[in-house]
Amino acid sequence: MKRLHLVSWLAAALVVAACGSTGGGGTNANSYSGKTIKIGAILSITGAGGVYGPQSRDGANLAVKQINSSGGVNGAQIALTINDDASDKAQSAQVAQKLIQSEQDLALLGPTLSNSAVAVHPLAESLKTPILAVSTTGIHIVPDCNFPDTKPCKYVFRDSLGEETAIPTNIKSYAEDSKPKTGVLLVAQDDKFSSDGGTIVQNTVAQYNINLLKTIKFNKAEADLSPYVTQAVQAKPDVIFITSLGGIPAKIMTEARKQGWQGQFLGGNGFNTATVSAQAAGAGKGARSASAWYLGNSFASNKDFVDAYKAEYSKDPDQFSAQGYTAIKILADAAKRANLTFSDVAGDRDKLRTAMESVNIQTPLGPFQFTANHDVKQTVWVIAMDGVGGFTLVHEIKQS
Amino acid sequence: MDQQLLNAIFIGSIYALFAVGYTLVFGVLDILNLAHSAVFMFGAAITYSLVINHGQAFWVACILGIAASAVLGLVIEHVCLRPLRRRRAPPIAALISTVGLALIIVAAIEQGQKGSLFGWLWVDGANSVAFPAGTIPNPTWHIGDLTLEASKVAVIPISIALMLALGYVIRYTQVGRALRGVAENPRAARLMGLDVDRMISLTVVISSALGGVAGILFGVALGDISPYIGRDNVEVRGLAVIVLGGMGSIPGAVIGGYLLGLIEVFAVVALGSGARGGVAFAALFLMLVLRPQGLFGAQLREKI
Repeated sequence: MKRLHLVSWLAAALVVAACGSTGGGGTNANSYSGKTIKIGAILSITGAGGVYGPQSRDGANLAVKQINSSGGVNGAQIALTINDDASDKAQSAQVAQKLIQSEQDLALLGPTLSNSAVAVHPLAESLKTPILAVSTTGIHIVPDCNFPDTKPCKYVFRDSLGEETAIPTNIKSYAEDSKPKTGVLLVAQDDKFSSDGGTIVQNTVAQYNINLLKTIKFNKAEADLSPYVTQAVQAKPDVIFITSLGGIPAKIMTEARKQGWQGQFLGGNGFNTATVSAQAAGAGKGARSASAWYLGNSFASNKDFVDAYKAEYSKDPDQFSAQGYTAIKILADAAKRANLTFSDVAGDRDKLRTAMESVNIQTPLGPFQFTANHDVKQTVWVIAMDGVGGFTLVHEIKQS
Repeated sequence: MDQQLLNAIFIGSIYALFAVGYTLVFGVLDILNLAHSAVFMFGAAITYSLVINHGQAFWVACILGIAASAVLGLVIEHVCLRPLRRRRAPPIAALISTVGLALIIVAAIEQGQKGSLFGWLWVDGANSVAFPAGTIPNPTWHIGDLTLEASKVAVIPISIALMLALGYVIRYTQVGRALRGVAENPRAARLMGLDVDRMISLTVVISSALGGVAGILFGVALGDISPYIGRDNVEVRGLAVIVLGGMGSIPGAVIGGYLLGLIEVFAVVALGSGARGGVAFAALFLMLVLRPQGLFGAQLREKI
């Protein structure tokens, strides 16, 4: 039997080779088949970002499995490595350096946190390696990864919805629904994603006639948040804005509800994972945020993803799973069209980068194309925590 | 304001209990045990792991967690302190060796994952975890504007009781007299027939057990257990507390702990949230400049 298998493989290989040598319908099957496309993901599997990274990982792994088992990328297999940066900026940059220079990966995914991206993205840009951010939503991630230098970064892309879109969309939708008059902002001041979110809240509220009574800053490593929450609750606002990440939003919600506050929580992408919704449980019920993805979307590219994810992991995906999954699909589509040589990594990285700019595929996030700034432009779903670890849809908002 | 006062007393209790262990070792050995914050974290992490990963009842896990912290104290003494003492190394050497051990303990816990070398100790890597709701009964009461949460309120009497018990042991018991003797003059104590090494081991064990209790109370009440809780929340603050109170003074550490809690919380209220860390250390700085011996510095000669 074994010999028979070998013979049939050889025959197949000969046919493929023959097709290639005669031009074989214009595909790159010849140069791709049997090759490996190495992609390195830098994710926060542990640490503060540990509530997001594992979902990105699971989504990306699922996409790799699907692509490889259905013939790969023109016959090439994707080899994805997941590298934990423990939510630490320095470690994130070290991992990136290793993946680019020692591992010679074709492209990178990540990192999970904007705070780490400010170290990793400029590095990838300077080493001319395409990097696709799957969850970084702070300001100046794309295109100006070297901010304050405003020269566009050529190698940095993202498929995640920036806070500059997400937070104002969320505030606008809640303001139209409930006309809140006052708010308090709780912001982690020592984290880029969080402080960017805080700045956006401060710049947005006035448009909707919300009087920001107080901005309360804290540090993300502080375990005892009660003095800050007490201060927020004593101001008796209609809305508490939370721009922070990891387990902190859930802790703030729990503490504020314990102290008897009944108002509305509004936030950003930091809310959008099932882990945070589960940690907040009943205290988080109704907390609203704008999401790049919604579980209940029934268009085919999302339904297929949700079904496959559930079958693989026996649980629902979340926004981060969907963005991780989409990232692999984007890279696979670009790699397919990039005419890779597999011998010249630097040249292949450039070809992949160019091909990424013209990606146009169906994804769980909807039809996907990068903007000229390498950013996303997509429908936004305003969602609310359901009190038991999930989300319900409040509004669907198309971007004009 | 009332709620903020309660917040201050709560966190002050944790600072005080942590700092009492810190200052106890300093009082006897004239050495800062900078691994104390790792012991604080270790107690909380072990207790969590015993409940969640090994299915122990909460109270059993607490006792084992405190015992494990005490054993870690023995390790500190035998690995970091005694060998250097034998060689008459300067105190700075012991300080560095305890820093080293603290980093190793934190790194070991940080590497803990399912199936890894330290997986039996901790499986959550660098993550922050909390006891799931319902592990211990934790009712919340509202009295007027005041919110009282059982797990936080309980910290206050537990800390005070432990600190009083320690004070009693040191002041009125045979062991306490022996400890004070060693603190006063180790050579004279040895000439009087005291086993100085044993008394020092006992000191580090008591100190570490208290550190472990502080860690467990912190982890339960604040719902935050990670390899970094010691480093991020009490390591430097503990130092501030014992400088405020007077190095080596137990009453000083208690008062200093509550004082730091009050200063921090009222800095948030009066000067804005960004001031929490800064004001506490401004107070420390002022104390060092104006009264370097600390609040209870007059009693410096009678160290513990």
